[in-house]
Amino acid sequence: MNRIFEHPILGPLEDTELVRIFVDGEPVEARKGEVIAAALIATGKQYFRKTIKLQEPRGIYCGIGRCTDCVMTVNGVPNVRTCVTEVEEGMVIETQLGYGKWGRGINS
Amino acid sequence: MKDPRDVFICRCEEVTLREIEEAIEEGYTTVDDVKRITRAGMGLCQGRSCSKVIARLISEKTGIPLSDLLQTGYRYPVRPEKMMVLDNDGEGDE
Repeated sequence: MNRIFEHPILGPLEDTELVRIFVDGEPVEARKGEVIAAALIATGKQYFRKTIKLQEPRGIYCGIGRCTDCVMTVNGVPNVRTCVTEVEEGMVIETQLGYGKWGRGINS
Repeated sequence: MKDPRDVFICRCEEVTLREIEEAIEEGYTTVDDVKRITRAGMGLCQGRSCSKVIARLISEKTGIPLSDLLQTGYRYPVRPEKMMVLDNDGEGDE
């Protein structure tokens, strides 16, 4: 668990409603209103996708929706930028291989 | 340790500094030339991360002023958006 509960500048983490998302089949509790990448980093996941050419792992890089390094397959849609997409109840998130494929459960 | 020239310049298409320097040495001296030869800037982010770095590399290697190399005509959309945002009723039917 990498969630920051006491931030030196932002202060203590306030209580929020939780939503349940599924990351590669595993149920994960996320805070309502946070982006997918934040929820994944909180669980310790850093490996979001595998590159197509060299099969190297990638995770969050710019964090503001520009570099597309953090893309994953979300609800069967490939190449979703997880750093700017908010979590939703029941969301299915999958580690993406290469350019990804449309559909759930077929990427990994 | 890995050769520092193996660092990625274009992260989307996985193009390294070495490949870009080699292209410049072969005489490809605009951002567009380098793009067409190496695929740098043709990936998902469309050169948002790498095009400025490539312009600077060309400028350093060839002496062409940076202002002549930077891309002037950016096309819409400035950042990637879903087609649904162009939908008139705003309901977002995909």
